[in-house]
Amino acid sequence: MGELLEALVSPLGQGFVRRALAAGITLGAAGSLLGVFIVQRGLGLLSDGLAHATFGGLALGLLLGASVDRAIWVALPFTVGIALGIQYVRRHTRLGGDVATGVFFAVSFAAGILFLGLRSARSAPVNVDALLFGSLLAVSPEALFVILAVAVLVVVVLAWIGPRLAYATFDPELATLSGVPVATLEYVLLALTALVVVVGVKTVGVVLVSAFVVVPAATANLVGRSLASIAVIAVALSVGGTAFGLFASYHLNVATGATIILTLGACFFLALVARRR
Amino acid sequence: MSDALRVRDVRVELGGQRVLEDVSFDVARGEFCCLCGPNGGGKTTLLKAALGLAPLTGGRIEVLGRAPALARREVGYLPQAKGFNPGFPARAVELILANQRGAWPLRVSAAERELARAALARVGGERLLDAPLRGLSGGETQRVFLARAIVNDPALLLLDEPTAGVDARGRGEFLDLLAGVAARDDVAAVLVTHNAAAARRLADRVVYLECRVRAWGPPAEVLDREWDKDAFHGRDHAAPPDPSCEEE
Repeated sequence: MGELLEALVSPLGQGFVRRALAAGITLGAAGSLLGVFIVQRGLGLLSDGLAHATFGGLALGLLLGASVDRAIWVALPFTVGIALGIQYVRRHTRLGGDVATGVFFAVSFAAGILFLGLRSARSAPVNVDALLFGSLLAVSPEALFVILAVAVLVVVVLAWIGPRLAYATFDPELATLSGVPVATLEYVLLALTALVVVVGVKTVGVVLVSAFVVVPAATANLVGRSLASIAVIAVALSVGGTAFGLFASYHLNVATGATIILTLGACFFLALVARRR
Repeated sequence: MSDALRVRDVRVELGGQRVLEDVSFDVARGEFCCLCGPNGGGKTTLLKAALGLAPLTGGRIEVLGRAPALARREVGYLPQAKGFNPGFPARAVELILANQRGAWPLRVSAAERELARAALARVGGERLLDAPLRGLSGGETQRVFLARAIVNDPALLLLDEPTAGVDARGRGEFLDLLAGVAARDDVAAVLVTHNAAAARRLADRVVYLECRVRAWGPPAEVLDREWDKDAFHGRDHAAPPDPSCEEE
C-alpha cells in the first residue's frame, strides 16, 4: 500500500508537477467554496458563462498587444465587469440569471472571436486550443502566485461575508429585514467568482473551469446536512479530486484537466447513488 | 411615547397600479390590530410598506417613532408566503438565530441554542429545534417562523395570514398562541387575516382595508358592517368599488 502511494506521488519530485498540484488544489478549494453559494442559488451555469466571457477578455488583451500570460490582466477586469453586468440584469429586469448569463456569454465569446480576427497578421500566432482547454502542468510561477493571491482574497472575503451571504441565499427578504446588504453581497459573490474563473481558465481552460466551481459543491450538496458541512465536504472533494486526477493523468499520460474533472464527476455520481440508498 | 405604528396618507403603486390610496391609521403600543378586507385590498402591501420593503408613492409611515427601515430590528415579521430557498439545508434553530444575529449561524453556541429553544417553547414548538425546515408541515413551519419573529422580543409584530395553509386543529392552537400575544401589554401586533372569528377574538381594533380604509373601530362594529356583508357574500374577489384603486 505504502509503495503504491509512493509510486503515485513520485511525480512530485518535479517542480512543474508541484506547481500544478499547488495551483489545482488552491483553485479547487477557492472555487468550491464559492460554488457552495453558486449552487444553492441555482446559478450553476454562471461560472460557465463567465469562463466564456474570459475568452473574450483574453482575446481583447491579445488584440491590445499583450502576451497570452499577460492578457489575464485585461481578462480580469473584463470578466468581473461581465459578472457585474449579469447581476445588474438579474436585479433590475424580469429576466432570470440563466437568460442574463446566456446573453453575456454569447456576446463575450463572439467578441473574443472578433478580437482574435482583428489582430494584425504580424502578431504571434495564438493557440486557441490552449485557451479553451488550458494546461495545468504548464502553470508558471507567476501564474501560481496570481492563483494563490486570488484564493487568499476569496477565503478572506468569504470569512467576512459568508454568514450574511448564506442568510441572503436562504431568503433575501428575511435577510434584508435583518439588516443584510443583500444586493451588495450578491455583486461581491459574482465578482469573486469571476476572479476565480479567470485564473482557472489559464489552468484548466474555458471549457472545464466551471466544473471546479460547480461539481464539488453539487456533490457536497447531495450529502451534507448543514451549510458548514457542505462547505467542508466541497473543499475536501475538490482538493482530493484534484490531487488524484493530477497524479492519475501523469501516470496514464492523458489530459490533466479532463482527468481531474472526470474524477470530480465520478465523486458526484457516487454520491448520487449513495444518496438514493 | 410614540405609537407602535403610525400610517399617514399612504399611497403605494406597484407596477403602475394603485394599491393603497390615502391610508391613515395608528396602532398604539400594546394594541392588537387586525387588518381585514378582500383579496387585493392592499393588506400585505401595507405590511411590506411598514417594513420598508414596498416604496411609498406618497404619505409616511412611522414604526416606533422611526422610519420603517430604521426600526426593523424591533419588529417581528411573519410572512404569508414563505420565500425561502427550499434546497437550503436550514434547521429551525438556525433560522431563529439568523434573525437574532443578522447572519446565518454556521456554529451555534450552547447559549444561543437555549435562546432558540426558549423562543420555540413560547410557541409550543420546542421539539422542532433541530428539524430541517424542508420537512415541516404548514403548521410547524408557521410555529418556527413565529418563534423567529419573537426571538428578539419585538415591540411590534406584523403577522401576515399566519393560519393560511394550517389545518383546523393547528389553526385553533395557533390562535391560542396569538391570544397570548394579544394579552401582553408590551407588544403591539398587526394581524392580516381573513378569519372573522380570529379577528373577533383577538383584535382590540379592526382596520378594514380595500385600497382605502373603508372602516376602522372595534371588531364587532366593523366586521358586522363591512366584512360580513362582503367577504361572506361573494364580494371577496370583486373589483374594488373605488375607481382610483386597482387590484394588486
